[in-house]
Amino acid sequence: MLSAQERAHIAQVWDLIAGHEALFGAELLRRLFTVYPSTKVYFRHLGDQPDEVQLLNHGQRMLQAVGVAVQYVDNLRAVLSPLADLHAQVLRVDPTNFPLVIQCFQVVLASHLQDEFTVEMQASWDKFLTGMAVVLTEKYR
Amino acid sequence: MVHFTAEEKAAITGLWGKVNVEEAGGEALGRLLVVYPWTQRFFDSFGNLSSASAIMGNPKVKAHGKKVLTSFGEAIKNLDNLKGAFAKLSELHCDKLHVDPENFRLLGNVIVIILATHFSREFTPDVQAAWQKLVSGVATALAHKYH
Repeated sequence: MLSAQERAHIAQVWDLIAGHEALFGAELLRRLFTVYPSTKVYFRHLGDQPDEVQLLNHGQRMLQAVGVAVQYVDNLRAVLSPLADLHAQVLRVDPTNFPLVIQCFQVVLASHLQDEFTVEMQASWDKFLTGMAVVLTEKYR
Repeated sequence: MVHFTAEEKAAITGLWGKVNVEEAGGEALGRLLVVYPWTQRFFDSFGNLSSASAIMGNPKVKAHGKKVLTSFGEAIKNLDNLKGAFAKLSELHCDKLHVDPENFRLLGNVIVIILATHFSREFTPDVQAAWQKLVSGVATALAHKYH
């Protein structure tokens, strides 16, 4: 599904995120909740006004999952299977929300990488994250 | 009808004043065609779209991108009446161009990403929210006259 070039772009960007999953994750969630407030319904366990610590903790969990996906990009179905089960049986996040997370993710990358977030980077990451979303919602029915 | 607060208007116009419309327009349309290749279906007459670099360097893409973003600039002058401002263009996109309105949403998101690359830290979550609201409003206005 992903070409060698696309994998290289993904790995290159991940190198910048690795070790800072909490910070990037917190920013992702902050943007998601500010831009698309309806997404907060899926995060009620974080409270009405999630504080920085909660955003960092949960953001880290989400970005760590992305890191796993980056590492096993050839085997997403197997490696994301427990998360796919979680989303299908417990979280049941409506599939239309995944593009919203992807948009915010891209904005996080774009604002940090600026000129380095080339069109090829954007194309690779959009494709990769969309692939992740497909796997995470595949067991819904 | 979408309503913008004073803060949202300020976030929009404040940033817009610093945007190079010609460059950003070409960039936006180019990225749309690369990231979502199926959108190339509307641009058969544009010549070489065979690779990312061909697309980004294509003079017709740049020219058309500039045209599209310039029109976007008109929207910013009419934030209180997007539907009215885009009525004619909506008819054009439906009756003559036959463009699926989903493409307006895709392009809007690409514009937001480009702004993020240019403005970095200044493109805060609140600023992003104002801009996503704008691009969504423009997409809706452009789809309004479809029949």
